[in-house]
Amino acid sequence: MTSGFIVAAIAMLVCLVPAGVVMARGEAAETVIGYEFITSVVVMVFALLAEGFGRPSLFEFPVLLAVLLYGSGLVFVRALERWL
Amino acid sequence: MTREVIADVLLALAVLVVAASALGVLTMPDAYAKLHFITPAAVVAPVLVALAIFVQEGLDENTGETCVALVFMMAAGPFLSHATIRAIRVREHGDWRLKP
Repeated sequence: MTSGFIVAAIAMLVCLVPAGVVMARGEAAETVIGYEFITSVVVMVFALLAEGFGRPSLFEFPVLLAVLLYGSGLVFVRALERWL
Repeated sequence: MTREVIADVLLALAVLVVAASALGVLTMPDAYAKLHFITPAAVVAPVLVALAIFVQEGLDENTGETCVALVFMMAAGPFLSHATIRAIRVREHGDWRLKP
């Protein structure tokens, strides 16, 4: 177990709070921006936790989420443009 | 020992970048300004995290997978930012192009 990576992961999770506030209180466009910020940070959190706990198999999650980040972001952006 | 110190410094820099970006997203007045602060969190911080894992682990499977995730994020980030700006303009003005 590597404590520096786990501490960094926890610190990054704390940094998600401002984006959560923006998502909860902002307009639709600001909500999408908060979502994009959170997904970007969560990719790093998954990588940091996998490294911190020494679980190589968990490195699949950041790769998967990084791919899904693009598709899901475009879905929300398209919804913002057309329907919201 | 040296590896751990370098990795910790890189991780601290990554956390600082993410924290500054989070503050920017929170405090900027409108969506256009907030969007600028996603790029450091989506491009700069992942590079620092990948470097930290590389320093800690060396060149192995974990570093490779982190780099794959990093490549996806670096490729997707600009496209997503551009699409978001376009969507906001269409939402506000009905068209993304400048009107004379």
